[in-house]
Amino acid sequence: MSVEVRNITKKFGGFTALDNVSLKVESGELVALLGPSGSGKTTLLRTIAGLEFPDNTGEAQVLFYGEDVTSIPASERKAGFAFQHYALFRHMTVFENIAFGLRVRPKTTRPAEVKIRERVGELLKLIQLEPLAERFPSQLSGGQRQRVALARALAVEPKVLLLDEPFGALDAKVRKELRRWLRNLHDEIHITTLFVTHDQEEALEVSDRVAILRDGKIEQIGTPDEIYDHPASPFVYDFLGNVNLFSGRVHEGSVTIGDSKFDVPETSGESGADTVAFVRPHDIRITREANGQKSFPARIVRSNAAGPVANLELERFDGGGRFTAQLGKEEFQQLQLKAGENVFVELKNVKVFSDDFSI
Amino acid sequence: MSAAEKTNAPHRRTEPPFVRWLLIGIALAFIALFLVVPLVSVFTEALRQGFGVYFQTLHDPLTLSAIQLTLIAAGISVPLNCIFGVTAAWAIAKFDFRGKNILLTLIDLPFSISPVISGLIYVLVFGAQGWFGSWFSDHNLKIIFAVPGIVLATIFVTFPFVARELIPLMQAQGRTEEEAARVLGASGWQTFWRVTIPNIKWGLLYGVILCNARAMGEFGAVSVVSGHIQGQTNTIPLHVQILYESDNFAGAFAVASLLTFLALVTLVLKTWVEYKNTALRGTAFTPVPIGKKAV
Repeated sequence: MSVEVRNITKKFGGFTALDNVSLKVESGELVALLGPSGSGKTTLLRTIAGLEFPDNTGEAQVLFYGEDVTSIPASERKAGFAFQHYALFRHMTVFENIAFGLRVRPKTTRPAEVKIRERVGELLKLIQLEPLAERFPSQLSGGQRQRVALARALAVEPKVLLLDEPFGALDAKVRKELRRWLRNLHDEIHITTLFVTHDQEEALEVSDRVAILRDGKIEQIGTPDEIYDHPASPFVYDFLGNVNLFSGRVHEGSVTIGDSKFDVPETSGESGADTVAFVRPHDIRITREANGQKSFPARIVRSNAAGPVANLELERFDGGGRFTAQLGKEEFQQLQLKAGENVFVELKNVKVFSDDFSI
Repeated sequence: MSAAEKTNAPHRRTEPPFVRWLLIGIALAFIALFLVVPLVSVFTEALRQGFGVYFQTLHDPLTLSAIQLTLIAAGISVPLNCIFGVTAAWAIAKFDFRGKNILLTLIDLPFSISPVISGLIYVLVFGAQGWFGSWFSDHNLKIIFAVPGIVLATIFVTFPFVARELIPLMQAQGRTEEEAARVLGASGWQTFWRVTIPNIKWGLLYGVILCNARAMGEFGAVSVVSGHIQGQTNTIPLHVQILYESDNFAGAFAVASLLTFLALVTLVLKTWVEYKNTALRGTAFTPVPIGKKAV
């Protein structure tokens, strides 16, 4: 069951939520819509569900399995939708919440009561909440509510599952558990799924592909590896993790930062032009000895070794500002680094973007 | 902090006992003077000449006709305002449209206008010399100084009660439950009956109780359009006035006791529904201890 949107534009007053967005999700895929708030990801999801309608009727299309559903109302699209704050029916028990989608079917297609009970029973088992069937939503924890919301969406055997910030309102530990659970669930039932998140770690961990949105446009789409290793723009690079910026000059195959020179395999643009080099903190190597032109000196301003990695804040000697480095605890202990010490810094995996320096 | 200081702490935080008792005493005296004494006096005056006279007054055909008319006016205006109120609140809380604020202001209008003016509006529009007066008299329809006028005036005066109660409740609940129902395949009608109404039932009941109390007790607007024709266009409050002005104090208080009794019943119902309502609203976002059933 593939889902496709074509040329969707949606404005709210003067604010453009979606600007001519097209996206195709293949059958059985789990795709994350990742972006900062206001980037249009939730609006895109709601447009697919039929809760919002594109402004450019005629051009814009929403296709479920190649079939145009653009003008079909939400109630007939058969999409499963889990809301950010779950939107469980507060006056119904867990059981009735899950059964709702089956009970509101027209008489001709409504399953018999026995069948409904059977189906709800299966789903309760799937979400591991069988003993809580008679509870009300207010008596459940956040994680339990989210699972009920998912079961309720799955009860109607939707063609596609749409999840709006499914783990957004949960604490860190439950979040991690639940997203692993979601991934396993998806591997089990293989339903085409789109989920919205602003958490890059979540998107990279759970999904088959990630679409990164910015200002109502899709900035890049690809597998987690692709977008992490080959970000299409500084925005994507920055959004996917911490980053250090070094201003320098491009030469063919390398970039000069101060007096040092670092290899950049993917350089483009004019030789000698000003540029900004992007380096992730964990791609910065700290040494005690200089390595010719391939390193530059810096002073350790602060160090923090709590947790599995050590984080350092360093300052360049040439007034080029501060940057952060991350290294393994073992390495950190071997080097016996302390604040105030002078060290040498080497850069790996330097990334240079040709036109757009802004993030 | 030492143990002695700890035990003294609560005392320091409140006023000296005599101030507390003085304030409580003033409050109680005020309640006694302005609420309890009048309440008791209504019933003592009503029963001054014994139960016989009391029930005789209530069995008087003119009294019965006043009770009947009040029940008719309330019986028509409350269900209608229930429908108006729910639809208005539904539209305002669940949809965005132009003129939403104007609609809100219009709903509040009857609260801000003196009831006498509300009555006068109907006289000006439907009365014999009014805008549509001649059309109605040509078709042999009587609005003013007749039952339809009383019903209209009652509807107008009690219009905001249900809507005003429901709008904040429905706005607080948001639209996502309705959206969830829609996505799950429910029709608009099913969404309304299965999701919206159960969520607002206590608020709705609260609005209906207040609406009913006002509908039965309304004096000003009804007085203007009624014409005070005994046995025909007299409601209970108007009847009390007529009895009182004709120096039939026992009768006036007997009939008044009916309204007082209604007020007491309303108060009890209102408190009960308020309790249920807050319990329901409270469970909207905060979890209840396990084992306790949500309302």
